[in-house]
Parts: sequence; C-alpha cells; structure tokens
Amino acid sequence: MTHAIETERLQYRAGNAFAIQDLNLHVPSGSIYGFLGPNGSGKTTTIRLILGLLRPLSGRVTVLGDAMPEHHARVLERVGYVPEQPHLDPTLTVGELISFQSAFYRRWDSARAALLRKEFQLDEQRLFGRLSKGQKAKLMILLALAQRGDLLVLDEPTDGLDPVVRRDILAALITYVSESGATIFISSHLVHELERVCDWVAVMDEGRLVIEVPLEKLKNGTKRLMVAQAPAVIVDAPFRILTRECSNGSGETWVVSNWEPTMTSFFDSIGASLRDVVDLDLEDGFVELLRSFRTGAR
Amino acid sequence: MAMFKALLYSQWKWARIIIVLGTLAGFALPALSLQGAARADRGALQAQDLLHAVQSWGTLYPLLAAALGLLVAITTWAPDHRGRHVQALTLPVPRWRYVLLRFAAGMTLLAAPILAVLMGAVLAAVTATIPAGLQAYPFALAMRFALAVLIAYAVFFAISAGTARTAGIILGAIATVVVVQLVAGIANLQLDLVSTMQVVLLHGLGPLAVFTGRWMLVDV
Repeated sequence: MTHAIETERLQYRAGNAFAIQDLNLHVPSGSIYGFLGPNGSGKTTTIRLILGLLRPLSGRVTVLGDAMPEHHARVLERVGYVPEQPHLDPTLTVGELISFQSAFYRRWDSARAALLRKEFQLDEQRLFGRLSKGQKAKLMILLALAQRGDLLVLDEPTDGLDPVVRRDILAALITYVSESGATIFISSHLVHELERVCDWVAVMDEGRLVIEVPLEKLKNGTKRLMVAQAPAVIVDAPFRILTRECSNGSGETWVVSNWEPTMTSFFDSIGASLRDVVDLDLEDGFVELLRSFRTGAR
Repeated sequence: MAMFKALLYSQWKWARIIIVLGTLAGFALPALSLQGAARADRGALQAQDLLHAVQSWGTLYPLLAAALGLLVAITTWAPDHRGRHVQALTLPVPRWRYVLLRFAAGMTLLAAPILAVLMGAVLAAVTATIPAGLQAYPFALAMRFALAVLIAYAVFFAISAGTARTAGIILGAIATVVVVQLVAGIANLQLDLVSTMQVVLLHGLGPLAVFTGRWMLVDV
C-alpha cells in the first residue's frame, strides 16, 4: 500500500504547554482519511507540519513521495489545502481570488472552477471580506478542488456551517474523489460527519496518536460488553479493554476494541459469562477511546 | 509572469491611493520648486533667490521617497499579514521566489511616482526661464529620487516582512537609545547617542546617505 502522507516519529513543541509527540501517521493513497480529535488535540499543528508551514523538532514527513518541508514547492503543486480559518485577501473579489490562485497552479482547472462557482452560487464581483461564513468555506473548497491536486488537506472545513452548506461541500468533495481518485485528509471534531465519508480514521489527543484504523474496523470492532462473574485481573484478552466499570451486582460493563464475534469463547475460558454485546456508533467509540487514553487504561 | 501579475494586482489594490497621491506629488514638486523662475528679468540676486527656493523645496524629495518606501512596503505585506501568511506559505512557489516577486511588484508600483518626478522635473526645466550660470539637472534628480525610494522601500520591506516580535525588537532598540540618552542628560554625562546615530546612519558611506545633502533641480 502506498501512502499519500507518512510521518515518522514526528516531534514538535509550541511553548511549554503543547507538544506533538512521536507521531506516526500513514494515510493510504486514494483514501478519505478522517483526522479526529477534540479541540486543542494537535490536529491543526499536525496539518501545518505536514504542509511544511511548521518545521518539526525531529522526525520525518513525506507527502506524495517527497520529503517536507524540503520539497514544499513541488509537493504543494499537487496539494489542495483548506485551512481552519479563511485566510484570503479581503480586498479581492471572488473572481479576482480565483484568477490570483490560478496563476500559481499549472494544473488549474478553469472549467471546474466556473462550474463550482455556479453550483455554489458565488457572486464573482463580491469582495471576499463581505462573504458569509458559508460562502467563504465554499470558495475555499472551490480553490482547493480547481487545483486538481492529488491530495486535499482540509482542516475542519465545515466547522460552524449550516447543514445545507455542509452537505454541498461534502457532495463536492465526494464527486471530486470519485472522478480523480485523490486522497482526502480531513480533520474534524464532528464525528458523525466523518462517519459518512471516511474509510480510514485516526484519533489524536494531547498531541499524541490514539489510534489509526480503517473506519469499518473501528466501528465494527468497538463494542460495549455486559459481562458477569469476571475475575479482577484479565490476562491475554484477544481484544483491547478500553474501559471496565461495575454496572449492578456482579455485572460489569466493558468497552472493548478489536472485537470479533468469535471471541465470545474467551469468557468461558476465564470463568465469566458474556450476557450481551452492544454496537457503538463512531461517536461513542471515539469518546470511549479518548476516556481510555486519558486514564491510561490501555 | 502570471504569478507576478497576480501579485502586482493584489498589491495595487492595497497601495493604489498611496501610488496615485505619490505620483501627483512627485509630478508637482519640481514645478513648485521652480515656480519663481518664470519671470524673464532675473539677475544675479534673483538666481541666488531661486537657488534658495529650489533648496527649500528640495527637502521634500527625500521625505516623499521615504514615505513612499515605507507605505508601499507596509501595503506589500499587508495581504499576507492579514491572512497570517497561510496562503503565501501554501502556494507552490519557493519562498525566496515569493519574496522576490512581492518585492518586484512593489518596486514596479513605485515606478509611477519615480517617473512622475522625472517627467515633472523635465517639464519644469524646459518651461522655466533659468538664469544664466545655472543648470537644470532633471535626470540626476530623478535618478537620486529613484535610488532613495528603492533604499527606503528595501529597508522597510525587510522590516515589514518580519513578525510583530521583529517589530518589537526594532522599537525596543530605538526606545533603549532614547532612554539611555534621557538618563545621560539627567546625569549630565557627555553622551549624544542620537547625533552619533544620525552621523553613522545618514552621513557615513552607507546607502542611507542618499537622503542627506542638497536635492537641487537647478544648481550652478
């Protein structure tokens, strides 16, 4: 499997309060990779390291086969980026910004830009500074897609937008991926949103990677188990116990990851009984993962 | 070329008022400095008066050059500062090239007031009656103005490119000099830092010396 983005033992420090620690990411080419994490977990910093906006203390970043930030000009030619905050010149109009951006990209797709401008109903004469939040987000997506990049890096692109704009943006992204086969790296703290579009997911917390798995594996493998007569110490479990809490009487509630239906026999082997297996949606799984990560219950 | 045009247009939108006003001022200044030379009955004393007038107006050229350099340098980086440099840093251009393009775009805009000074000076020299023994130097004046604009722009471009921290360091250094001077004054110490700095910066052999001396459109 080739990787559109790869980081190896990436370290970065911003003051004394925050650090990215030993970050190893592997974003498969052609995937829609969701980068989840609570606010302040290091998602934006990681993206800035990936794009060469920040220089790591140590470690290695490879994007589309080239080292970053050493080859940033060559790499950025093939990367569309939508930052968390719109950053364009407020004195330029929509049309002028499209024209400005097109001057820097050899693969610029004018027809796609015109089509998206029409679809997103963006007035060519309107100043960027006078656009609404939703219109700004749409313009940012338009600029990223018209570059015809092999990789799109989107930092919370739909945060704070209404559902209609959010749906328009996600639809445009999915259309682009289906046509071009590009990789999308999308960060968000809106778990439901990523659940709809992603095939891989990584979770960050406090500057560290909690997990990186195919989405289906995370969704299908994270369960809430109702267990009775469980011994105090569990050894050699074939799954990962994220949390373990007493529910009532001798009953316990476990949240586990890497679960498979064939693992029920494990409970007989330890003298416990498995009463129920409850599916968790991605959001519940995400919350439990973070809880377990923070309490060190891995 | 397309990149340069894009940056030039973006900078024009930020700097157009400064450029237009600077161009008008640059064009008017030579004519104003020679306004008293229109009469044909000038003798030796009138020539002396004219030289005084030209010299008085001449102090405005370095001021105009410095103001244009400063304001255009600030507006050159303004779009990037507003966007916290995110767009600039994510464009597929080597950073040194981006800086050069920005610099060149600003310098291109400054060509308008420089040309205005040249045209204004040539026009004033041609239309005015210059007393015998005096010569007009429109090209030399315009060249000197261009050099002063370039130096002011380059210095302020470099300072404006920095972060708020850089600006703080520069302001801190200036404040330190002022405070030391004040303390020295109170303590009756023979220390004149401001004059020393003025001599070092403006009267030495460095590029800032172009701002000093007489700026004469007409001279002997």
